[in-house]
Amino acid sequence: MAIIRGRDRETSAKIFTASMADIVFLLIVFFVITYKVEVDRTRMVLPESWVRVKIPQEEKPAVISVAPRSEGYLIRVSTGEEMSLPVSTDEEVVTFASTEVARDPNKAFIIKADKEVPYERFDAILDALKQSNVKYIYLLSEQKTVK
Amino acid sequence: MNIGKKKIESEIFTGSMADISFLLIIFFMITSAFSATRGLDFALPEDSTTPPEIKQEDSIDVLVLPGPVDGPTNMQVDGNQMPLEGLLPYVAEKLRQNPEKPVILRTDPSASYGNMIAVFDELRQSEDKIGLKIETISIPTQREIQSIWSMLGIGQ
Repeated sequence: MAIIRGRDRETSAKIFTASMADIVFLLIVFFVITYKVEVDRTRMVLPESWVRVKIPQEEKPAVISVAPRSEGYLIRVSTGEEMSLPVSTDEEVVTFASTEVARDPNKAFIIKADKEVPYERFDAILDALKQSNVKYIYLLSEQKTVK
Repeated sequence: MNIGKKKIESEIFTGSMADISFLLIIFFMITSAFSATRGLDFALPEDSTTPPEIKQEDSIDVLVLPGPVDGPTNMQVDGNQMPLEGLLPYVAEKLRQNPEKPVILRTDPSASYGNMIAVFDELRQSEDKIGLKIETISIPTQREIQSIWSMLGIGQ
């Protein structure tokens, strides 16, 4: 009788893959639920604040973004339903905001600006929104943390 | 001779399911973005024929001056240089005399947006920090400031 020593015994190496499908579907479900189309994808560093109010997303607020200096402080506008489009003058912002307010007088506007944007650029947008009789404005910010 | 019926096994081919699933995962992972959905809110006054008049002497005038975005905030309160930490105690003193005293937040055009947000955020924390709520925080635009100055007949 041949004696099989421990080190010569063949052991089959297998990775248990039966639960892989469950994990994969769980991940898919997570991404499908959390997936949200971002109407403005301008990369920027938002200013930080302690006070942060949840912006109601039900009514799809309009977005006005001001890009950082590397993009020439380009202004983009979005109705909240379509992808943002660049505008070249402040008058175009007034026209855009007036159109949105005429459609819905309670339309909220989100101003998304890089923290290093000169205040005069923000001032021009605020002025355009005031001229258009906008009622609700949200200034997008990041959560401030203790450093 | 026993001629039996051949059993046809019904089977759904699942070999490519993993490929499709991973493709979907990669798609969602790349395209999904954690969007910021919070920020500072402020409501603009209703458009009325007789807007409330705020006199400069009846309000607390905060002027944000240019300074480093992440550094100490450079600002003047009622014409006096003040650190950000000193703002709310000063406002508290004024609010105890008149709880409806509004705050006018002006910002130098050459200052950065982040400078203004730092001061606005501090003012919004009044209830937590000093236990008094600032009823009105007004952010006038340069055009509004200039029209007020010209109405009063004074230069900025």
